[in-house]
Amino acid sequence: MGKKERVSVKICVGTACFVQGGADLLLYNEFLDPVVLGGCDIEGVSCLGGCKDPNAKDRPPYVQIGGVIHGDMTQEKLCKLLAEAVHA
Amino acid sequence: MNDIFIDVDYAQIYKHGQKIGGDVFLLSRNPENDQIVCTLSDGLGSGVKANVLASLTARMAHKLSFSPMDLTHSARIIMNTLPVCKERKISYATFTIADIRHEKGEEVRVNLVEYDNPSALVFRGVNSYLWQPERIDLEREGAFKQEVLGHSQLKLSIGSRLVIFSDGATQAGMGKSLPLGWRLEGVRSFAQAQIEANPDISSHDLAQAIVCRAHSLDRLSAKDDITCMVVYVRKPRRTLVVTGPPFTVEHDQDLVEKIRLFEGKKIVSGGTTAQIVSRLLAKPLKVDMSCWSPQVPPCSIMEGIDLVTEGMLTLSKVAIALEQKKPVRSLPNDAVRKFIQVMQESDQVHFIVGTKINEAHQDPNIPVEIGIRRTLIGRLRKALEDNYLKETSQEYI
Ligand code: FES
Repeated sequence: MGKKERVSVKICVGTACFVQGGADLLLYNEFLDPVVLGGCDIEGVSCLGGCKDPNAKDRPPYVQIGGVIHGDMTQEKLCKLLAEAVHA
Repeated sequence: MNDIFIDVDYAQIYKHGQKIGGDVFLLSRNPENDQIVCTLSDGLGSGVKANVLASLTARMAHKLSFSPMDLTHSARIIMNTLPVCKERKISYATFTIADIRHEKGEEVRVNLVEYDNPSALVFRGVNSYLWQPERIDLEREGAFKQEVLGHSQLKLSIGSRLVIFSDGATQAGMGKSLPLGWRLEGVRSFAQAQIEANPDISSHDLAQAIVCRAHSLDRLSAKDDITCMVVYVRKPRRTLVVTGPPFTVEHDQDLVEKIRLFEGKKIVSGGTTAQIVSRLLAKPLKVDMSCWSPQVPPCSIMEGIDLVTEGMLTLSKVAIALEQKKPVRSLPNDAVRKFIQVMQESDQVHFIVGTKINEAHQDPNIPVEIGIRRTLIGRLRKALEDNYLKETSQEYI
């Protein structure tokens, strides 16, 4: 079995995301399953752009997982999405 | 902005068991004519009575120095006004006044008036400089003893220091570790050794070192108040704070040039601004996930920039911390703490404020607006000037 690609995760730390729940996501070391955590490369980015898009359907905070931007992120949602991505 | 910076600070320890000092130190700056006046006064006795005498003396000396009045005349007024001690039937407080002015070039003029305090010391680099003050006999009516003022006009160039202290320092250790006390010579050679060991030692640290040494000679139980003040003339340490994207994209390059050419520390505050700088300097931006707190988003790291932070939240927290003079050690390890550390280590802070209107955020409650940025920088500058005696300046782009 070949080595699995790690999932690239970018948590937005821009002002709009940070004040609307992004700060909670930065505690990922505490709420993510260690196995999931081990399968991800998590970094912070400044403003993914979602907050400035007048047509966006979702709201901050935003997280980019493997190239796709997800809004309205919460700790639970992130656990779920990352578990899916890592175990896929 | 000035090419010279006058670093003034002092340290003090009260006589053992006293909660109030008989040594009073006052410092003010008059930014209009680049004048600094520091006064150190030591009142008769110790505790409250001494404090009243010394405060009165220091206050008057201080006020009078800002007036054009002749200094012997000022001294007479001070002595005539002091209340008389009931027991000893004398009124008495020693004082030293240093009227410091930076007029032009790289030299600072000091008008030094000393009355019964230990003589001040001057160091040019590590060398101690000796001079003879002019003596003025006040011949005041009703004086209980001969009153002689020492008056000196000194020039301090870059790298020079003026050290002023109360007799608590020169008499430290008397009858304990040293039969005659530390004496002027002791203080001089100790200060000299400190400067030799650390040629750029700040006024705060040098004053602190002298006072601590005197305190330990007194076996940590000071016999008198110990006060030391240091004036250090040096080149200013500068910091540039850039916040907000320029009004139009055409100015982005100008902004980056200004950052590149600036000599000193550089702070970029604001996500979009940091992205512009990163792109034009071709230096990657990396979020530092180890440096944040629940109220303050993480710092980022970029080569060539000393500190990269988020904008509004960070700046407003910095403004509050500076306004409330929060000690750095009480702050969490986040961008605000780093920001304030850089501010405290700077003498002059220049702000470049971008005036681009931010794209509408989805949430109208988010405080991201150009007016707020402007007000915030105004608050920061005021706090830096009033609470930390820093020089600040600002431009819009
Ligand atoms: S601040 Fe997160 S998308 Fe703009």
